[in-house]
Amino acid sequence: MAREVAESCIDSINLELVHTYATRLHPTKPELAARRIEAIGFQVGLQLAERYTKERPRFGDHLEAIKFICKDFWAEVFKKQIDNLKTNHRGVFVLQDNRFRWLTRFSLDAPTSGNGTSSSEANQANSARASQAAGQYLYFPCGLIRGALTNFGVPCAVSAEVSALPACSFIVRIKG
Amino acid sequence: MIVCVAIVGQQNNPLYIQSFTNGDDALKFHYIVHCSLDVIDEKVSNPKKLGLSLNETFFGLLYPTEDYKVFGYLSNTKIKFLLVTTDQDLRDADVRNFFRRFHSEYVDAASNPFHVPGKRITSPAFAERVSSIVSSFGTGPVP
Repeated sequence: MAREVAESCIDSINLELVHTYATRLHPTKPELAARRIEAIGFQVGLQLAERYTKERPRFGDHLEAIKFICKDFWAEVFKKQIDNLKTNHRGVFVLQDNRFRWLTRFSLDAPTSGNGTSSSEANQANSARASQAAGQYLYFPCGLIRGALTNFGVPCAVSAEVSALPACSFIVRIKG
Repeated sequence: MIVCVAIVGQQNNPLYIQSFTNGDDALKFHYIVHCSLDVIDEKVSNPKKLGLSLNETFFGLLYPTEDYKVFGYLSNTKIKFLLVTTDQDLRDADVRNFFRRFHSEYVDAASNPFHVPGKRITSPAFAERVSSIVSSFGTGPVP
């Protein structure tokens, strides 16, 4: 399927957003950069949630709101649905996307460690490096999810983890 | 004819109130809209008692005062849209149609990046479009 211009624009904007906030505007305070990017995502999530739920009937509870995010919202924004949803029924949901669209063109430099490391250690080291490098680019989607859920009346906190590129998971913790 | 439309936010904060009569009745409409919020809250908390299914967005006639009728509509994001009118015979389909168009105008206004969520809507373009929806209300099916 051909790639459309808007999608390349969104990829480039996300890259540049992270790069500007992390290196130019707040080089010494990565936490502040993360919060500001997440706040931008929050406002966009609010507005998108308003737009995508125009025709639908209202949700009964938190679970229905989360299912809407996994199916319709994700399909509108990223053209696919969330692959896996897990919950512990106590207010924590894990949304897993096995091929997150914004990370598909991400790659890491090959590690320069010696030959002595076993394969499982190398895998762990790799996933730690992937998490650290790609984590910055997931602040905006975290804000997107938080904004949409807040507009449905579900106060929450969202964080992201990368285990193996391009798969990533978003952890939603419902407050109160 | 429609005398007043209002949009109220999630914490019952007013986002947009506009009256379409020539008199100085703005305060009276503020009061009517405020009282209707109570009726909406009641319907939201007791859906089965008042015959309203849980997932319905359109609330219908909220309550009639001496010469006005108030209609309500609740969006998925808990934004309340209210319509005050003096017409005595209104078709349900007309009112639903009006709220549908009003809702889509609101979504466009809220998507404005310069609009702060929770503050009043101050865009003059929005006011103009709402006035045109109001004036074309009830004049037959929209093409």
